[in-house]
Amino acid sequence: MLRHAVQRIGLAIPVLFGVLLIGFLLMQVVPTDPATVRAGPQATAEVIAEIRAELGLDAPIYVQFGKYLWRLAQGDLGVSIINNVAVTEELGNTIGPTLELMVSALFWSIPLGIFLGTIAAYWRGSLLDKAIMAVSVAGVSVPVFFLGLVLIWFVGFQWQLLPFTGRGGPLWSMDGILAIILPAVTLGGVFIGPVARMTRTAVVDTLSAEHVRTARAKGLPERLVVLRHALRNALIPVITLIGLQIGFLLGGAVVTETIFSWPGVGRLAVGAILSADFPMAQGTIIVLSLGFILVNLAVDLLYAVLDPRVRQA
Amino acid sequence: MIKTWRRATLGGLAALGLAITAPLFEAGAQTQPRNQITFMREIDSDRYDPHRSTALAGGEIIQMLSDTLVSMDFDMRTIRPGLAERWEVSPDGKTYTFHLRTNVTFCDGKPFTAEDVVYSINRWIGRTTPRVVSPVAWRAGPVKEIRATGPHTVEYELNEPFGELLPQLSQYFGVMVDRATVERLGDNFGVQGFNGTGPYCWGNWTPRSEFVMTRHPTYRWGPPVLQNQGPAHVERIVWRVIPEAAARVAALQAGQADITQFIPEAFWDTMRRVPTIRSSTQPNYFWDVFLGFKVDKPVVSDPVIRRAAHMAVDRVGLTRAVWSGHALPARNIINPNALDYDAQSDAMVPNHDPAAARRMLDEAGWRMGSDGVRVKDGQRASFLMYGITNLTNQRSAEIIQQGLRQVGIEMRVQMFDATVAWGRLATQEFDAYILSYPYISATDAMSLYWHSRNRPSPNRMNWNDPETDAWLEEARRGTDPARRAEVTALIQRRLAEQAPWLTLARTQLTVFSTQRVDGVRAHGLYGIGVYRGLDLRVVR
Repeated sequence: MLRHAVQRIGLAIPVLFGVLLIGFLLMQVVPTDPATVRAGPQATAEVIAEIRAELGLDAPIYVQFGKYLWRLAQGDLGVSIINNVAVTEELGNTIGPTLELMVSALFWSIPLGIFLGTIAAYWRGSLLDKAIMAVSVAGVSVPVFFLGLVLIWFVGFQWQLLPFTGRGGPLWSMDGILAIILPAVTLGGVFIGPVARMTRTAVVDTLSAEHVRTARAKGLPERLVVLRHALRNALIPVITLIGLQIGFLLGGAVVTETIFSWPGVGRLAVGAILSADFPMAQGTIIVLSLGFILVNLAVDLLYAVLDPRVRQA
Repeated sequence: MIKTWRRATLGGLAALGLAITAPLFEAGAQTQPRNQITFMREIDSDRYDPHRSTALAGGEIIQMLSDTLVSMDFDMRTIRPGLAERWEVSPDGKTYTFHLRTNVTFCDGKPFTAEDVVYSINRWIGRTTPRVVSPVAWRAGPVKEIRATGPHTVEYELNEPFGELLPQLSQYFGVMVDRATVERLGDNFGVQGFNGTGPYCWGNWTPRSEFVMTRHPTYRWGPPVLQNQGPAHVERIVWRVIPEAAARVAALQAGQADITQFIPEAFWDTMRRVPTIRSSTQPNYFWDVFLGFKVDKPVVSDPVIRRAAHMAVDRVGLTRAVWSGHALPARNIINPNALDYDAQSDAMVPNHDPAAARRMLDEAGWRMGSDGVRVKDGQRASFLMYGITNLTNQRSAEIIQQGLRQVGIEMRVQMFDATVAWGRLATQEFDAYILSYPYISATDAMSLYWHSRNRPSPNRMNWNDPETDAWLEEARRGTDPARRAEVTALIQRRLAEQAPWLTLARTQLTVFSTQRVDGVRAHGLYGIGVYRGLDLRVVR
């Protein structure tokens, strides 16, 4: 198990380095000049040149890249060229709300997806199964922004039940709980479909497996057969899917954070890219990529815990 | 067994439903704290340093955090006292003597003196250490020296007269800053803090999310253009960034925020029908959208092509289609309500008349080609237009393209993201471009865009006319209002005749608010919705 974990971590390091390199090069390839963005539309060429020098953008790319790597090696992600705030400080302020949002979305959508997938599998072919699968397909198909706007319009505006204009406070306060419901429902809503469908497929497979037949033959209650013998074995592909989907959830978080004015990393990334704030954009890319890599690493390790064949391979 | 399982299923669903909706029974949507007003806006500023930012998002907050020497009335042409209660101008128009109020303090309680004016203006024009590069330092005029001649008297000496000085000093770039705070915060001034003389003080800023300001309790020196001179009625103002337009519309109607000017025009009629929403429109709002031609590039260098473009584009239909009728179709480059607007040049701008455009092009030798695009001397009547990607520009470009096509002119369109566009718009790669800009008077509008020394940007037309330069310089110096109006009229007529710029629309400023607040009146100086915020009051 330890060897398996070391191997997976070892593979994650070059991936991270690749992300850093591509992240830096992408920002260089983009035909954007942060100095012109900062100078505004009325600035003359002389003013733009002065601002470019002030930001250190007149140095050759390899010099900028060298400085970037040196800073990274020291754990310094740099300073925003727009508002002079340390990138780590901004990330520190925004990671919390993003994690809050993602965990809240997963908190309700994963159990619900597994639950719906299990009951659809148990009553496969029934009207309930078809209804759940239809809802799952709709869930997969509905774009995050559309679901968010529908919820804002009805729940927030028409019925005036919940706030939708940002984070209301810490999650342990009532304002915080109320403010996170709509973003979490939006983000989690698109997660239910894939989880339910995968759970259904896996549970259907395991329900016809020999060990389940044996369990039934032993006279175990049906609830235990399903939960202990069928669902547990069916969870391996579901966990893999969840791991992969969390990556997409990061993408969804960017949209959700924008719609609901949620002060997270996704919104920070969009803002940094739109304002050509190279250090901030690179910092957010690193954090989002690191999140993706860590989730995949966790899934790999969890996979090995759940299925001994993986760690033996 | 199956029944048990089904009961469990239904029970689980019910529990989940209750878990999700339980808080709703305990508390509804967020209500606003008493004596707090929430503004909504689309984007945040890069920083709140008046000498480093030119963003509208920065200006609307900075004008509340500090004061300017003079203030601008709602007619957008009358200058009123600000921190200076009176001033004199020397006979040669080069020296302004400002007499400052004596009872003014910064938010930290420090008295405001003439030395603060000297420092603030010098910082704006890059004469302090470390040097600050303001993209709009030119707006302070050709400064020779700023001197404190007494604790509350300042002499503002220019190298040559600058008739626009007072309106320029009313803009947010000219607000007063506290030297000690600037030096203490260094590059973080306007990021981590600010110390101004304004009706509100810096609370805290969460970039891209929220800006909080609190009332300046001892403030008593508000500009006379407002009913309340201070202190502000409201204890706390929160500026919340809501990037999604539909969310802003819904939030205002749901009472989750109080004031915004960032409602898309397509919603204006609907919003005005909502009984709980009020709106205030500024008739003297000067922010125009235009299509500029590079006058030294092939095809568009021909004034006939440019005049034909004016005749081909239906500006009335365009404003209806793009701004839902909530923008005024434009003619001359200057708004009729702006200082030194020239009515005669308006009449010189060609009317929408595609048939006449076709005739004029035929007569000028532009013959219709087999592909529907005209040709003259082997040159196709085709040009490339650049613009910033947004819905307004895209829809405007489509309508312009369609109109031009009807008269045999092809316009190729290339749009760029805002981060890329400014760099591309400073090049000579394109033949025409679409853009919008704010101004406060004819001289202000034209000095920037039409002087030859400002080529290639912001004079992206490459307009190079010694007479225009001379008139502009005279207008800028213009201490005699009549002579200034005369020379700016000459420029307007020259531009109307040569048609290097097709002014498309004059956008409108409307500030929407809920019934919860009173005292909202749209102002519009440099696009600012609410000026200083002293009249704002929570009434419900």
